[in-house]
Amino acid sequence: MRIRIVNFIFLGVFLIIAMVLLGTEVIHGKRFRQLSNKNCIRLVPQLGTRGRILDREGNVIADSYLSYDVMLLPQPDDNVDDVLSGVAKVLGIKQQELKERFKKEFIALSLPVTIAGNIPVKKAVALEEKKMDLPGVVIQPHPLRRYPYGELACHLLGYLGEIDRWRLTKLEDYGYKTRDIVGFGGVEERYDYYLRQEEGGFSTQVDHRGRFVRTLGYRSPQNGKDIQLTLDLRVQKLAEEALGRQVGSVVVMEPASGEIIAMANNPVFNPAAFVDRKSDAGLKRLFNDPKSPLINRAISSTYPPGSVFKIVVASAALETGKININTTTDCTGSFYVGQQRFACWNTHGTQNVVGALMHSCNVFFYRTGLLVGPQAIYEYALRFGLSRPSGIDLPYEASGFVPSPLWKRVYHFRAWFNGDTANLAIGQGDLLVSPVQIARAMAVFANNGFLVTPYVLKGVGGKDVSLYQRKFSRVSLKDSTIDIVRQGLRKVASEGGTASNLSGLGVEVAGKTGTAQVGRGLPHGWFAGFLPYKNPRFVICVFLEHGGAGYYASTTAKRIIEGMVKEGII
Amino acid sequence: MKATALILVLALLISAIGVLSIYSSTYRKEGIQWESTYQRQLLWVVLGVAFFFLMSGINYRRIWDATYLLYAAAALLLLLVFILGVVRLGAQRWLRLAWFTFQPSEITKLIAVIFIARYFSAKSVDDVSLKVNKMGVIRGLVLPLAFMAVPMALIMEQPDLGSAMMILLVFVAMLFVSGVRMRYLVTFVILGLLSLPLLWHMLRDYQRDRLMVFLNPNIDPLGAGYTVIQSKIAIGSGGIFGKGWLSGTQSQLHFLPESHTDFIFATFAEEWGFLGSCALLFLYYLVIREGIRIAGRTADNFGKLLALGISLMLGIQVIINIAMNLGMAPVVGLPLPLMSYGGSSIIVTFIALGILANIDRTRAVF
Repeated sequence: MRIRIVNFIFLGVFLIIAMVLLGTEVIHGKRFRQLSNKNCIRLVPQLGTRGRILDREGNVIADSYLSYDVMLLPQPDDNVDDVLSGVAKVLGIKQQELKERFKKEFIALSLPVTIAGNIPVKKAVALEEKKMDLPGVVIQPHPLRRYPYGELACHLLGYLGEIDRWRLTKLEDYGYKTRDIVGFGGVEERYDYYLRQEEGGFSTQVDHRGRFVRTLGYRSPQNGKDIQLTLDLRVQKLAEEALGRQVGSVVVMEPASGEIIAMANNPVFNPAAFVDRKSDAGLKRLFNDPKSPLINRAISSTYPPGSVFKIVVASAALETGKININTTTDCTGSFYVGQQRFACWNTHGTQNVVGALMHSCNVFFYRTGLLVGPQAIYEYALRFGLSRPSGIDLPYEASGFVPSPLWKRVYHFRAWFNGDTANLAIGQGDLLVSPVQIARAMAVFANNGFLVTPYVLKGVGGKDVSLYQRKFSRVSLKDSTIDIVRQGLRKVASEGGTASNLSGLGVEVAGKTGTAQVGRGLPHGWFAGFLPYKNPRFVICVFLEHGGAGYYASTTAKRIIEGMVKEGII
Repeated sequence: MKATALILVLALLISAIGVLSIYSSTYRKEGIQWESTYQRQLLWVVLGVAFFFLMSGINYRRIWDATYLLYAAAALLLLLVFILGVVRLGAQRWLRLAWFTFQPSEITKLIAVIFIARYFSAKSVDDVSLKVNKMGVIRGLVLPLAFMAVPMALIMEQPDLGSAMMILLVFVAMLFVSGVRMRYLVTFVILGLLSLPLLWHMLRDYQRDRLMVFLNPNIDPLGAGYTVIQSKIAIGSGGIFGKGWLSGTQSQLHFLPESHTDFIFATFAEEWGFLGSCALLFLYYLVIREGIRIAGRTADNFGKLLALGISLMLGIQVIINIAMNLGMAPVVGLPLPLMSYGGSSIIVTFIALGILANIDRTRAVF
């Protein structure tokens, strides 16, 4: 009896063991396999180089240089202290410093520890020569971003930094890992996928003491692709110089295609500050600066456009037939909507739409605006690409805003008054636009009625992609409308116009100034135009934040155009 | 005769697996002594087979006669260990004999089994009935326990908790099968459980650590818990089909300590996976079942008890060792019979199997 019981007990226990084996080997097998790999596989990374960023002529705006890091591959039999003192002697730093660094960074044997970063080439060579005396020391070339032109086009480029949690969650599935260096803002972020290098390296097997056993595999690092921008560095330089210390931005665009030739903002920052993060104080200053130097004002900030908006109102009025070339208004210096007096900035007398654009007459546009009505103005503003992002291939674009009667009813529970229309007609009130949107709207008159999508990427890895980038739609305007507005714009930049300083530059300029009143401080100055008048090749939009009247903006534009003429770009 | 052949084939199969695993776990280690480890194991197996045939040729009733002599010899050997023993890994368990060392606690396990088998199969002179049925608490429990306590205490002092606990477990199991009254057995087990706190104080620090670590290996992952954690990783990482012979990273790269002795099962499971381990378990089960069957067939009480005792001894060792590899039992230094490297264990196991074969062969004579 008892013998059979013993037999059953053995059978039972063996079955239990088999079940446990099933649990450990089959059900949890994967987890244990990972743990076992973690025990014995070490990855020694090798870095690739991030792609370069070139301008349209092929000038390098951002590339990488090799910095040299000193790494130590600690092995159990090595005397780390001796090696560290040897390295310290060559580098000319204190041994204590290296020791502390080593202690801090040490993870496990056979895993490289960076003990000194970014050492001069000469010292790297010296260390390499002493390799026999310094076992375990590896000089690891480590590509770092370099900006040959310093702060030039910084907003367009963006900067580099360690990936943050938000981006990581978004990009994890695309192979991004923690501690990856990715682009923040500008093309560095937008085209990170092209620019990004792929890390390669050795996977090695080590034993329980961390000694190297053998190499399991090697993958060569992949360099990122170079990207070419539509940017012309010469124009970019001119634009940044013209802005000087004035806060604002300049957009220069090719009207036919939408290529951004220059996009300058002030204040600027130096993207190199993010590469070598030795001075956190400097970065903190950048982030806390009340003037927000990191913001690309040309696309991410919106402002009231002021009189520049009159090109939209004029087009709407001409298109809807409310006015024609012969419609005139007598400007007596002010205009009454009900009891309220709306002032003009001068007394202009009798003039038609061309004269009104030339002098930027408010009274003419108050009347015209009231004739056209707010809904039509709103619709035409949308046709000119306002109130939505221009679609430029840069991150963080603002959409701006165009008010409408419906919006006011829904969001403010108020009726739309004629006073609102008068304000809207001269680009004041709730209207908000970004400089790139204005450049785009102005381009419609330069390219005979097409709304282009601005872009900055011209080529990837040596291949021209601008064909894929070009997108435009037709703003169905009559030829006569475009012609009349163009005439007005030309007059603006000739003797007697609001931008008369743009006459006599050797190139015929057409454009419109704008002075946007703001609640506090000096008004914003605008100038948007195109040149040459007959066959436009450039659209230029200058915006000066609290820069005074539009006249100052046209002065800035003048400096840029003069420079372009001088350099033979036009 | 059939049973004898079966036992020998099974034992040889398991030993062959053992030699392969020992080869795998040591061939990467540098140094002469490692290179020849598997060769020495082969030698032990060959010697073991010789002992198997020797023992299967000697009538087991001769052992009955020699029981007290064997007992005395075992006690003497254990005493000798204290005087002349070789210290390894902090324990004094080995005796040096000419060119090899010998672990008396291994043979003591077998002798303990023989002793109990004889003790409980003694017959009354009056009516030729088994004495055990009439035994009171003194003769049925206290006296045999006292006999067992001597070698157990000596082994505990080496220290070798595993072997001592083995003897105790086999003793309890044999009490059960020998027909001692159930209430004695139950009382004994309860008393044993009650005295556990007392036992705790008798343990050495490292033994306590191991027990604590058994309850939670993560309290000391690099110290006492290291072995169990690495052993579980080794077994688990084998998966269904294993990593393949000579490709187990845990044992090859020495993450698993004692990979050729106490933790050879983990080495094997890592390389041969779930299927291999189940096959190995099945082989062990077949050996034990054969032993139990022989016991069932044997009419002679001594033979029956001896066969059962040997099966129990093997079975309990296999179970405890594998459970220990899987983290289901605390780490005590117990080899896996027929697989772990070590001459004493191999030869004693083959001797035990030889006795088993002899019992099967001789029973027909009566």
